[in-house]
Amino acid sequence: MEWQALWLSLRLSFWTTLILLAIGLPAAHWLTFSPRRWKFLVEAVVALPLVLPPTVLGFYILLAIGPHSPVGRWYAVLTGGMLPFSFQGLLVASVLYSLPFAVQPFASGFAAVDRKLIEASWCLGISRAATFFRVIVPLSVPSIVTGMILSFAHTLGEFGVVLMVGGNLAGITRTVSISIYDDVQALDYRAAMHTSLLLLGISFLVLAATYGLRRRVWAVWPMN
Amino acid sequence: MADELIIDVRKRHAGGPEITAALRLPLSGHSVMVLFGPSGAGKTTVLRMIAGLDTPDSGSIRCGDDVWYDGDCGIRVPPQRRRAGYVSQDYAIFPHLTVRANTAYGAHGWAVAGLLTRFELNELADRYPRQLSAGQLQRVALARALAAQPRLLLLDEPLSALDAPARLRMRADLRQLLAGVQMPAIVVTHDRIEAMALGDSIAIMIDGKLRQVGAVESVFDCPADADVAAAVGVETICPARVVSRGADLITIEIAQARLVAVDSGDPGADVLACIRAESVTIERNPAGNPSSARNHLAARIVSVISEGPLARVALDCGFRLTAIVTRQSAEEMRLREGELVTAVVKATSIRIVPRL
Repeated sequence: MEWQALWLSLRLSFWTTLILLAIGLPAAHWLTFSPRRWKFLVEAVVALPLVLPPTVLGFYILLAIGPHSPVGRWYAVLTGGMLPFSFQGLLVASVLYSLPFAVQPFASGFAAVDRKLIEASWCLGISRAATFFRVIVPLSVPSIVTGMILSFAHTLGEFGVVLMVGGNLAGITRTVSISIYDDVQALDYRAAMHTSLLLLGISFLVLAATYGLRRRVWAVWPMN
Repeated sequence: MADELIIDVRKRHAGGPEITAALRLPLSGHSVMVLFGPSGAGKTTVLRMIAGLDTPDSGSIRCGDDVWYDGDCGIRVPPQRRRAGYVSQDYAIFPHLTVRANTAYGAHGWAVAGLLTRFELNELADRYPRQLSAGQLQRVALARALAAQPRLLLLDEPLSALDAPARLRMRADLRQLLAGVQMPAIVVTHDRIEAMALGDSIAIMIDGKLRQVGAVESVFDCPADADVAAAVGVETICPARVVSRGADLITIEIAQARLVAVDSGDPGADVLACIRAESVTIERNPAGNPSSARNHLAARIVSVISEGPLARVALDCGFRLTAIVTRQSAEEMRLREGELVTAVVKATSIRIVPRL
């Protein structure tokens, strides 16, 4: 049983979710309220990870953050390190991979906020940015929580992208799903079963707790 | 021209009529202008353009010395900096905030406590909007708008979200509140009783155009044309011809019937005669007492429809005439379909408008 891998996965999920919250809220706001005609292109880009094979996404991320890419060189100058096969590189990949799982629930939450409430806030002299934090975000809390949970759970279970970008370095990039794969390759079915069961349990508990506590408000899909 | 709201705007919605509006509202004092017209006439759009929520295609909006919008100069002040006190039809109270937090939302300092008291919201201050009635929500909306210290109030159908008894109460309250806060206001409504109760002046809007602007009484009594007359609810509008002209009276002919009216008009002219249902009385006995009313018409009752305390009686006098009487008198006189009666119309109650 790979406690180290589990701990790494939980840390990765935590930071991915946090970063997605910071990036996803403004991105979803822009996607919901921008009058730009070409915003459907951005929507399509954000949704790409939903349909793209993780290996394809991982391959491009690997190229994009590699030591010869602008991002890689810039990162090397700043930190002296390298993004691929590091925890930070894994984080970049996870954020991109889980982007739609955060942005789409956020955006659908924002879109459901009554436009009249937003206009009322403007007419009361409150700026667009302040209206976002005082009206739009509080009224979208269920959708924001949904997006965060989906991001967390999705990152916890990711495999292909992690393998492409992070490889399999114990304690650095070996996440729990990769450790399961390793165990199976080594014919250690017992260890694989334990880890799988744990992952299944954690995922189920997180989702069940969320839906159970606030079943009606936090539903991802419409319920009766 | 300081201290006036001056609007002169044009806007075309996709698929809708072009909306044009030119209005002036004094900002000193607390005069209430009613923007009146049937649904879809563009009243709300005009209000939203003043608030800064819709952008006109061209024209200008000035508030005192400030330019809020100028199509030629490309000036467009955002709603945040207009302080226009816009209250939408459903009040748009923030559901996640208490009454107190709603009122304080855009407030500048001291105002909140006083407004909660003035609008009798102290006992409700810690409640959430879902626990309030429509009438209470309206008070919250007004208090919240006033807390932001606006320069005027823009109320879109302020009473339409209320049920009938609450509407009656709030109509009187709203008038007092508006007078009490000394705030100029533009009130959109399609209800003519609301317009009469709330407005000092009235602007009639039909199909996106302002057709008549003036004091409420004068517009209701003297509609400028047939469309305005129909909009303000003059029930009977008939094509007529001026037959002869006396000193101050003219005689008109509607269908076969001749009526005397106090108005101008050249003999032979085609006109429209507008007769309010309230000013038509019904008598049983045609050869009865002498009456000051000039016009006595033999009529047959087409239908009697009761509307609450009133009854609407459709009459056939050769042309269709509608009368409104109390239900009590309709019952006492036993007004029934098909019976013959006399319709009495005072000469002063007939308004002649030119036929377009």
